[in-house]
Amino acid sequence: RLLPQLPQLSPYDVNLVLRENEFVYNFPLEGVIRSYETNQLGSNSPCEDSRTEASLLYRPNGFVCGIFDGHGGAACGQVVSKRLLRYISAATLPRQVLREQMEQPGGCTSQSFLKCHNDNVDFVNEIKPIYEHSFQKYIKELIEMPERDVASELKDAFLKLDESLSNEALTSNDPRTMNVALSGAVACLVHLEGLQLHVASTGDCGAVLGTLDPKTNQWIPKKLNQEHNVDNMQEVKRILSEHPKGERDTVIRNGRLLSQLAPLRAFGDFRYKWSLDIMKKQVLPLVGDHGMPPHYYTPPYLTAQPEVQHHELSVGDKFLVIASDGLWDFLSPSDVVSLVGEHINSKKILEPMRIPEGDITLNQISEQLAERKAGLTRKPVDQNAATHLIRHALGATDYGIEHSKISYYLTLPKDVVRLYRDDITITVIYFNSEHIAELRNEYHPPTLSEPDSPLAA
Amino acid sequence: AADLSENLAGQLPGQARVVICGGGITGASVAYHLGLQGWGKDTLLIEQDRVGGELPWSACGLAGRFEPSYTELKLAEYSIDLIKQLTERGLPTGWRQVGSLNLARNFDRMTAFNRMKSQAVAWGMNCEILSPEQCKEHCPLISLDGIEGGLWIPEDGVCDPHLVCHAFMEEARRLGVRVVEHCAIKKIHSSRGKVDRVETTAGDVNCEYFVNCTGFWAREVGTLSKPVVKVPLKAVEHHYLHTKAIENLDPNTPFVRDFDSRIFFRECEGHILAGGFEREAKMVYEDGVIPLSQAARQHPPDWDHFHELLDALLRSVPPFRKAHLDRLTNSLQVFSPDCKWILGEAPEIQNYYVAAGNKTMGVSASGGIGRVLTDLITNGSTYLDLHILDISRFLGLHNNRKFLRDRCKEAPGKHFEINYPFEEFQTGRNLRMSPLYPALKAGGAVFGQSMGYERPNYYDQNDKKDEFGLPRFRIAQTRTFGKPPWFDHVASEYRACRERIGIADYSSFTKYDFWSKGNEVVDLLQYLCSNDVDVAVGSIIHTGMQNPNGGYENDCSLARLSERHYMMIAPTIQQTRSMCWIRKHMPAHLRAKVNVADVTSMYTAICILGPYSRILLSELTDTDLTPKNFPFFTYKELDVGLADGIRVLNITHTGELGYVLYIPNDYALHVYTRLHQAGQKFNIQHAGYYATRALRIEKFYAFWGQDLDTFTTPLECGRAWRVKLNKPIDFIGRSALLKQREEGVKRMYVQLLLNDHDHEVDMWCWGGEPIYRDGVYVGMTTTTGYGYTFEKQVCLGFVRNFDAEGRELPVTNDYVLSGHYEVEVAGVRFEAKVNLHSPNLPTKFPDREREAYHATRDKRDQEDLLSFSSNLITTNNNTGMTRQ
Repeated sequence: RLLPQLPQLSPYDVNLVLRENEFVYNFPLEGVIRSYETNQLGSNSPCEDSRTEASLLYRPNGFVCGIFDGHGGAACGQVVSKRLLRYISAATLPRQVLREQMEQPGGCTSQSFLKCHNDNVDFVNEIKPIYEHSFQKYIKELIEMPERDVASELKDAFLKLDESLSNEALTSNDPRTMNVALSGAVACLVHLEGLQLHVASTGDCGAVLGTLDPKTNQWIPKKLNQEHNVDNMQEVKRILSEHPKGERDTVIRNGRLLSQLAPLRAFGDFRYKWSLDIMKKQVLPLVGDHGMPPHYYTPPYLTAQPEVQHHELSVGDKFLVIASDGLWDFLSPSDVVSLVGEHINSKKILEPMRIPEGDITLNQISEQLAERKAGLTRKPVDQNAATHLIRHALGATDYGIEHSKISYYLTLPKDVVRLYRDDITITVIYFNSEHIAELRNEYHPPTLSEPDSPLAA
Repeated sequence: AADLSENLAGQLPGQARVVICGGGITGASVAYHLGLQGWGKDTLLIEQDRVGGELPWSACGLAGRFEPSYTELKLAEYSIDLIKQLTERGLPTGWRQVGSLNLARNFDRMTAFNRMKSQAVAWGMNCEILSPEQCKEHCPLISLDGIEGGLWIPEDGVCDPHLVCHAFMEEARRLGVRVVEHCAIKKIHSSRGKVDRVETTAGDVNCEYFVNCTGFWAREVGTLSKPVVKVPLKAVEHHYLHTKAIENLDPNTPFVRDFDSRIFFRECEGHILAGGFEREAKMVYEDGVIPLSQAARQHPPDWDHFHELLDALLRSVPPFRKAHLDRLTNSLQVFSPDCKWILGEAPEIQNYYVAAGNKTMGVSASGGIGRVLTDLITNGSTYLDLHILDISRFLGLHNNRKFLRDRCKEAPGKHFEINYPFEEFQTGRNLRMSPLYPALKAGGAVFGQSMGYERPNYYDQNDKKDEFGLPRFRIAQTRTFGKPPWFDHVASEYRACRERIGIADYSSFTKYDFWSKGNEVVDLLQYLCSNDVDVAVGSIIHTGMQNPNGGYENDCSLARLSERHYMMIAPTIQQTRSMCWIRKHMPAHLRAKVNVADVTSMYTAICILGPYSRILLSELTDTDLTPKNFPFFTYKELDVGLADGIRVLNITHTGELGYVLYIPNDYALHVYTRLHQAGQKFNIQHAGYYATRALRIEKFYAFWGQDLDTFTTPLECGRAWRVKLNKPIDFIGRSALLKQREEGVKRMYVQLLLNDHDHEVDMWCWGGEPIYRDGVYVGMTTTTGYGYTFEKQVCLGFVRNFDAEGRELPVTNDYVLSGHYEVEVAGVRFEAKVNLHSPNLPTKFPDREREAYHATRDKRDQEDLLSFSSNLITTNNNTGMTRQ
């Protein structure tokens, strides 16, 4: 250990830090999602991760949520985290509904189609109209377009938002829009409607589904995205193929795009997207000559286009974890799934005790409860699964959780902490297996080319 | 829904004097009481759903009076009487006087019951201490295994809260109150700091008063105004267990509380209703947003969470093992951070009243709360001192969502815990700290919390470091009614302050600055304060701020920093409260001209006290500190160490020689370090709150919030000499005090020294012990403690004079001094010697200046000492200290 003389936090203080950003949302109505739990532990100051969750309006049982890991400042991540969900809420509406809404007196705003949970901040007044203008332009375009499947709509929404960021930075006079365009963010977004789960991912966040195999009673992780970084050979090949042979040695260097950027896809970061002309006229005067990445010959080098994976929920699917790379640096997807799986088991709270019909005495209940209690291997310290994961990420040893290790990570001085741990943001979504079972029995599984399935009606 | 709103728009009047928001039991009670006062026609009650919409039986329906303080007890008692009265008038309430049986499983609980029994005499409550066998006679169901005894309150009973709510509502309607349902509040508008209009889903209503009785939503409704009204509350889950009907269950089964098992039960329509208060409550709605609809608030019962309570119930009442389950319900209950009710006028907006945080005690609370709020609205005052429940006891920090989430896990459990002296919360700590905090912690401080401030209560050098060698944060605990575990530590700190030098952190004290361009600040203070504040620059005045009845709203020290600049020092708990009082009573013509600023968080206060304090401070400053240049009760701005601009007051609030230094926070650690280093040769020692408290009790100094409250006048507590009735201004409370001077006081503040009390084995006094004069109850103690110089228990308290019919007669000095006194401590009476004046304590270091000063006295003979005058100096240039 490099820094032996760190103050030791008490378990109470550790809990306060780990639980500071905890949030739980229980869905009140019967739906595919029972609840979700999130948490965030910052390393950068301010934290560069963002997260948003929202229910879709006009789409019963529609839900979107995302995790956004910013870099080069928090601006892009914050902006995308709010706006992307709005774009998607419009894009996944049937065009007919969208048209009707626009014809309502007063029209509609970017927030007309969704309801965000635990969202306490909004854009400042000077920025709002700029963003609102871009949104109106976007939905006008949408109306003209024929309806497509969800995956295409998601891809289009990502790209259109990125395009908006670019246009705003180049045409509005507000320096803040340029600030947003020059910082970047990767995103992992989950869209769920009925049983149809789509994960759209740009960059190196990750989503993993936890499935319980009914035969073996084992937890099976299923990765729902590919990270876009240099470990992904396909991605490296794609980038190399998009640029002249002469740049082979400079496009990706030291494991980074143009030797600077770790994720190979991202929102914002227009210093890797804009043409040389724009860079010289509009960017360099603002940030200086060092703002030009080395060997910048044939932009764009970067795209916000996501890869979209589709999954149809089955009865065994119990939960989905999405998290920024801060978590994946510590834990593998299979670790994560088994930790959350164990957490569910030991918590048992998600499956509340059921009292059988008919007469039962209090003594019988007491005995049953005692049995349950004995069955609980160990009560988790944290109710919130996201906190449970963070605790394990920071404190796991071969002998269980070690308090001093967590304390060590939490008390690292500001100037070095980023070398030891990145911002961690986690959202765990729990599915309601009974409701899934009901849906699967009652309806024929809709096909992909039929986005307007009876589920939504 | 649109139709409904249109319908409602017709119903909603555009004008009402009072708008009550919330049709639960509290709102209904307020409406009823306003109706009784003839305000029915002027009162509008709005409810977002249906009135009394709570599901039946989401409360236990206990109408009981087992409360920790006089105020709460009296409110509960009023509620019970009211329910009885409604029942007698034929309204259905479900009331049955079945009595309440309270069980004890350990010695301390039994002591708590004995203390309550002693107090009951004073508080006019019937109760009886029971042996285990007698407990069984009252309720044959219980097992006596582990039971040490009980307390029987025969006049308690049970009712159906749902019916009581409807009874209040029906009566309110009969008295003319308009009730509009399905109407939700949207905004509360104020102008010039007063409520003037509310906006609802059914239209706007102009009004003068707004009452927030919205239960779970009170905190959220608080955010609907500008400024936001802070109502610190947090909802937690709370379970009630219903069995199926039990054969041969006695309908007169008492309400049983087994505090040490954390459970209670009662008979209810032929079955048993049981519940409890778990150690750590389960949070819900962590974002603070509670759904409006009943259905969305229904939580599935959490059996695992209820398991511990269920087992405790079955252990305590074995016959219930065979009872069949009907249901376990999980309903919300809200708790405030100190587990007390929240009432009164909001500090942020005038005429905006709040009644919330009734915990699970809605029925016991609501009647009394309705009455006192109505009194406050219609009269501006009421019959009880409410400061411990007043909403102004909070600061912004208490309303922080994360603080509430942390604290309110612990709050419900407190409800059934023994009410030990100096109880502390374990959560929500290390929140507000002076810059000295790390140094004091390293010095062994064990902390208590007051208004969020971590204040050293005493210092313990044992075990002060954790396993890594770093100072440990320790919370002071007493957890006994006898000799406390910190006795020896405090004894040593006390001796340091009396014989050498002690250093104490007073940073939590409330500090305000008052200033103006012209003479307006003097005019304002002359109007607010009962003492004469127009004294020479550099003087300090002790003064009360009286209410129109002459009672203390605030008790403070004022230092006149310059011609038009004062600094006020007041008790810690006055930080929000006294600002409200000042704002509310500021005459309109001065409003724009006088600046009042709360500077509490800008200054660190260090008190050095003891015979060597003057020499110590002399070493560190260039200013001459001899009494000639810097007399007692004066102020100077000094340089200390390398710092300057330190406001130094030559008083200690405890009666010792010493100084309080008000240091801008950035210099605080420097000044502290210099004082502590330079003090080493005098063997300087840290002194905590308990030590300074012991000093002031022995010297007979009264503190606001402990001895003095809004019903105590200066004439009653030996402070007539601090009231200048002849000031050329009609200050607040003057006429009441003049009248009282004519008529004589009905109670008098005394000091009692207990004889034959063995502090090692006997139970101690902790305040609230009844005082007997010639065998007759005459009053209660307020603050008490061990006097380390007298080596006796010292009690401060009030003595009254009741005639045979229980009427109060004037109390004179002769009356007080002629009696033979006893104080009853947890059922045992001790003989006591009475003092009317601050005593002179024997000392090795005579200090004439301070000996001449008596905090509590009835003659004006030493008045000259109070203000800075030249003849004072000549009498004091010969004190013990200056000779050295």
